[in-house]
Amino acid sequence: MATTACFMIVSRNDIPIYEAEVGTAPKKEDAAHQHQFILHAALDIVQDLAWTTSAMFLKAIDRFNDLAVSFIHTRLMLLHDSRNDDGIKTFFQEVHELYIKILLNPLYLPGSRITSSQFDTKVRALARKYL
Amino acid sequence: MADQANTPLGRMLLDEITPAVMVLRTPLVEDICAQNGVNLVELLSPFCVFNNIDVPVRTANDQPYRLHKFKLRLFYASDVRQPNVEVAKERLKKVITFAGENDVSDLYSDPPLPIESVLNTLVVVSSKDEEPINKFVDLLNTNQLPSLLNDGAMDPKILKHFLLVHDNLDGTPEKALKVLADMRSTFGLNACRLLCLNSSQDGLADHQENLWAPFKSDASPGQRLGCFLSMEDLDELTDIMQDLSSKLIIPHMEQKIRVLNQQVSATRKGFRNQIKNLWWRKGKDDTPENNNGPMYTFSSIESQIRVLGDYAFMLRDYELALSNYRLLSTDYKLDKAWKRYAGVQEMMGLTYFMLDQSRKDAEYSMENAFTTYLRMGSSGQRNATRCGLWWVEMLKSRDQYKEAASVYCRISGEDPLHSAVMLEQASYCYLLAKPPMLRKYGFHLILSGDLYKKCDQTKHAIRTYRGALSVFKQTMWNRIRDHLHFHIGKWYAFLGMSDVAIKHMLEVLDCSYQSKATQELFLRDFIHIVQKTGKTFEVFRLQLPIINISSLKIVFEDHRTFASPAAVNVRESLWRSLEEDMIPSLSTTRNNWLDSQPKLMQKNYKESNVCVAGEAIKVDIGFKNPLQVSVTISNVSLICQHSATADETEPDANSSSSENQNDEVLRKLVSSRELNLDTSSFTLSEVDISLGGGETIVAPLTVTPRVEGVLNIVGVMWKLSGSLVGFHSLEPNVTRKKIAKGSRKLKHSKSSNLKFLVIKSLPKLDGVIHHLPKTVYVGDIRRLSLELNNPSEIAVKRLKMKISHPRFLNVGNPEDINIVFPACLEKDSSAPSNVKVGTEKILDTVFLFPEDATIHGGTPFVWPLWLRAAAPGHISLYITLYYEMGDLSAVMRYRTLRMHYVLEVHSLIPKMTISLVDITLIEQYQKHISTKWNSMC
Repeated sequence: MATTACFMIVSRNDIPIYEAEVGTAPKKEDAAHQHQFILHAALDIVQDLAWTTSAMFLKAIDRFNDLAVSFIHTRLMLLHDSRNDDGIKTFFQEVHELYIKILLNPLYLPGSRITSSQFDTKVRALARKYL
Repeated sequence: MADQANTPLGRMLLDEITPAVMVLRTPLVEDICAQNGVNLVELLSPFCVFNNIDVPVRTANDQPYRLHKFKLRLFYASDVRQPNVEVAKERLKKVITFAGENDVSDLYSDPPLPIESVLNTLVVVSSKDEEPINKFVDLLNTNQLPSLLNDGAMDPKILKHFLLVHDNLDGTPEKALKVLADMRSTFGLNACRLLCLNSSQDGLADHQENLWAPFKSDASPGQRLGCFLSMEDLDELTDIMQDLSSKLIIPHMEQKIRVLNQQVSATRKGFRNQIKNLWWRKGKDDTPENNNGPMYTFSSIESQIRVLGDYAFMLRDYELALSNYRLLSTDYKLDKAWKRYAGVQEMMGLTYFMLDQSRKDAEYSMENAFTTYLRMGSSGQRNATRCGLWWVEMLKSRDQYKEAASVYCRISGEDPLHSAVMLEQASYCYLLAKPPMLRKYGFHLILSGDLYKKCDQTKHAIRTYRGALSVFKQTMWNRIRDHLHFHIGKWYAFLGMSDVAIKHMLEVLDCSYQSKATQELFLRDFIHIVQKTGKTFEVFRLQLPIINISSLKIVFEDHRTFASPAAVNVRESLWRSLEEDMIPSLSTTRNNWLDSQPKLMQKNYKESNVCVAGEAIKVDIGFKNPLQVSVTISNVSLICQHSATADETEPDANSSSSENQNDEVLRKLVSSRELNLDTSSFTLSEVDISLGGGETIVAPLTVTPRVEGVLNIVGVMWKLSGSLVGFHSLEPNVTRKKIAKGSRKLKHSKSSNLKFLVIKSLPKLDGVIHHLPKTVYVGDIRRLSLELNNPSEIAVKRLKMKISHPRFLNVGNPEDINIVFPACLEKDSSAPSNVKVGTEKILDTVFLFPEDATIHGGTPFVWPLWLRAAAPGHISLYITLYYEMGDLSAVMRYRTLRMHYVLEVHSLIPKMTISLVDITLIEQYQKHISTKWNSMC
C-alpha cells in the first residue's frame, strides 16, 4: 500500500533545517507544499500542548483529512497516514540518535540546515524499515 | 441572565427567536404603502422592535416578572413556508459576490432560520376596499393560507388582529371610522384598529434617513422613504404595533403557556404518567425508521410541549422552557424522530446558554444536535449549519475561540462556497484565540482561498491569500511562500492587475529547490504574464539570473597599459618592482619647484581611478542561473553616469548607502539612456548570453568613455526573455570588489573604485612579440621580433624596456632582423658583429631604445629579440616598456606597456636518442651558442 510520509526537523523560530518525503506514494507536484502547510500549522498545536504534557512522543496531535502529524521532542515531526504507532515511535527514536550525532559534529552550526547526504540516506533507510 | 442577554449570541437569540406575525393584506393596502417607497412589511418593521416597553408577565407558576425588550417578526403569508435551499444558496452567492466588489473583509453568513411554529396574524384591509368586512373574511379563507396551517403542522386557531388602513390623501377618515365600528361589532372590540397613513400632503416629510433602510434590501440611497408619512402617522404606527405586542400577543402567549402547562402537567408529569408514557412508547418500537419520525399534528402532546417550550423561551422563562425541552427530547429519541430530536437538543443548548448554568450541558446538547443533524445526511445539512453557527457563537461568547474554530471546520461541508466562508471564519477564530494560533490562521485562510477560487470568487481568494501572506512573509518554509506568491500573482494577472501580479511572481523566480517541472511552470507563467501586458517592465534586483558580485572584475588602463589579458592577471607588486628604476617618481621629474608640472590629478579627483578617453574599461560580471531550466538574457550592458566635472555628480548618489536612492539614480539613468544614446559621452557594449541549468557565465562588458570628465559605473542591466529589464546596482558599499589591478589609490575609500576620472585621449602603444613559441627545448635559440604600434598621431618617444628574465630573452640589434637565421650562427663569421648603433646599456637589464625612435601614426616599429632557452621549466616572461608622450601638454607624461608570456622549456636529454647524436657534437654546439650569446648581449 502506498503511504504518505513527510519528515521534517525544525530549529528555533520554526526554521526547517531538514525535510524529506519518505512515503512510498508516487510524488505529486502539489503534495510538497500541502505537506508543508499541514506541518507548519501543526506547530501551533504542539506549542500549546508542550506546556501541558510531559510526554516526549506526541502521536497524531493534529489531523488534516486522513493525514496525521506526530511529534517527538517538539522538533522532529512526521506527517503520516499510517496507523503504525510503534513503527513511528521507533523511527523517531532512531532519527533522534542520528540528529544528535549531527549535533555532535563540531563543524555543524546548530540551527543551520542539515546538508549531510549520509544523514539523508540513513533517514530514508529508517523510513523504509519502520514506516 | 442579564449578562447572557448582552453577549452577541444572547442579542442574536433575542432578535431572531421572536414571535412571528403573518401579514395578510389586500392589494390596495400595498398601493398606499408603495407611495412611500416601501411595502407593508417594510413599513411596519421598524416599529416592531420595542426596546423600552414594560410589560408585566407571570410565569406558569405565577411568579411575576417584567419584559423590557420585545420584538416581532413580520412575514407575508406567501413567505411562510419551508425555506428553499436553492434560493438560500443563490442568496449566499450574491451576498459574497457583492462583498467581493466592495472588498468587505468580514462576512457573516446566516442562512434564514426556519420559521417557528408560532404565528399570530395581522389582517390588513384598505378603507378603499369595497365591503371591507367581507374582505377581512376572504383573507382569512383557509385556501389562501400557507399549507403549513392546513396540513395540521400548525394550529389554525391563531390570534388574529384586524387593521384598517386609511389613506388620508383620499379624504377624511369618516367612512373609515364607520367601517371600524362595523369591524368592532363583527370581530370584537380589542382586535380592531384603524391606521391613517399619508397625512403629509406635499410628500416632503423628512425622516431619519435610516428608519427603513435596514429592512429594505434593495434600497437605493437617493430614494426618500416614507415621504408621505407625517410625524403623527409615525406615532400612530408605533402605538398600534406596541399595543399589538403588549396588549394582544404577550398576554395571549402568557395565557397559552398556562393552558398548555396545565395540560402537559396533567398528561406527562408525575410518576404515574411517566410509567404510562414509557410503556406506551415501547409499543411503537416497530415503526419503520424514518428521519422525521411519526407525523406530529399540532394537537399531539409532543407538539404542544414544543409550543409550550418555545413560548416560554420567547417570554424568557428559560426554566420552564428547559424542563419542557428535556421532557420532549426523550420522547423524540424514543420515537427516532431525529430531526425533531436534534431541534429540541439545539433549543436546549441555547436555553442552557441563556441560563448560563452548565457549560458542559450546553455544549453536550449542541454537540448532540449537531451530530444528529449530520447523521441525517444532506437533509440535515442546513440545520446542522444553523446549529453549528449557534454553537460557534456560544463558544465565542465564552472566549473559546479554538473550539469555535474547530466547529467552523466541521460546519464546512460539500458546497465549496459555503465551506470557504466557514473556513475563513475558522481562521479568524484561530487568530482571536489566546494565544493566537497564527499558523493555523494562515493555513485555514489558504484552504478557504482555494475554495473561493474554485467558486470563481477570485477577489476573495486574493484577499484570503494576502491575509495569509502576513503570516508567512518571513517564513523559511520556502514551498509555502512560493505557493502563496505564485497563486496571488496568477490571480492578480487573471484580474488584469499585471503590476501587482508581476511583483508577486518575481518572488518565486529564484526557486532552485523546486523540481524542474515547477521551475518551468513558474517561469512560463511569469513570462506569459509579462508578455500579456505588452510592456517592458523594469525590475530592480531581479533574481534571475543571480549576479555573482564577488566575481566582479574591473580592468582599466591609466599610465599602465596591458598588451594582453594575461598581463592583467599578474600581481601589481611584480610589475612595480620591474618598473622601479624606469619610472620617474613625481618629485624627480620636476626640474625645479617653479616648474608647474601638470599635475596628474587634482586634489578632489585623487580618490578616483584614472582612465583615458577612447580606451575601454572592461568589466567582467558573473551571471549565475539558479534554475534547472535554461534562461536566455540579452542586451547585457553596464549602466554608467558621466558628468563633465566632478562637482556635477550629486555627492549623495555615490556616497549614500540608501538602496532606494541608488535605485532612483539607476532608474533615472536608464530612462535617460534611451534618450541620448547617440550623443552619449560614453559607449557601452552589449552582449547576449544563454545560461543552461545551473550554469555561471562571466559576461565581458565594456564601457568606453568618449569625453573627459568623471565616469561612474553604477550598475548592470539585462533583458530577460525580451520584455523584462533587470537591474543590479554595483553598490560600492555593499559589495566586495576585487579590482584586478591594485591601484595606487587603494588606500583611499573603496567606494570610489567604480568612479573614473576620464582624461584627454593619449597615445597608447600596442605591443606584440612575434614568433614566440609556447614550448622550446633547452638550448634552443630563436630570433623574435617585437612589434610596437601607436595608432595615434601623437608620437611617443624615449622608449625603455626591461625584461624580467634577461637570461632567456634579450634585446638584439636592429640589423639582426635582416640577417639569416640560423646561418649567422656559423663559426666562420670572423669579424665580431658587435656593432651597436646608438644603443646604450646603462644597467644590465634596462634597455634604452635609440633617442630618435619615435612611434606614431600606425607605423609599426619592429625590434629584434633573442630567445635562448637557458634552463628547463616554466618560465614567465614579464616585459615592460616605458614611453613618454611626445606632446608635453598631456596630463600624463609617460605610460608603460606590460607584456606577459609563458614559456615552457623542455629538457633536451630525455627527448633525444643519445646513440644517434655524437655527444661531443652537442657539447661543441652548446659551447658555440654560449659564446655567441655572450657576444650578443
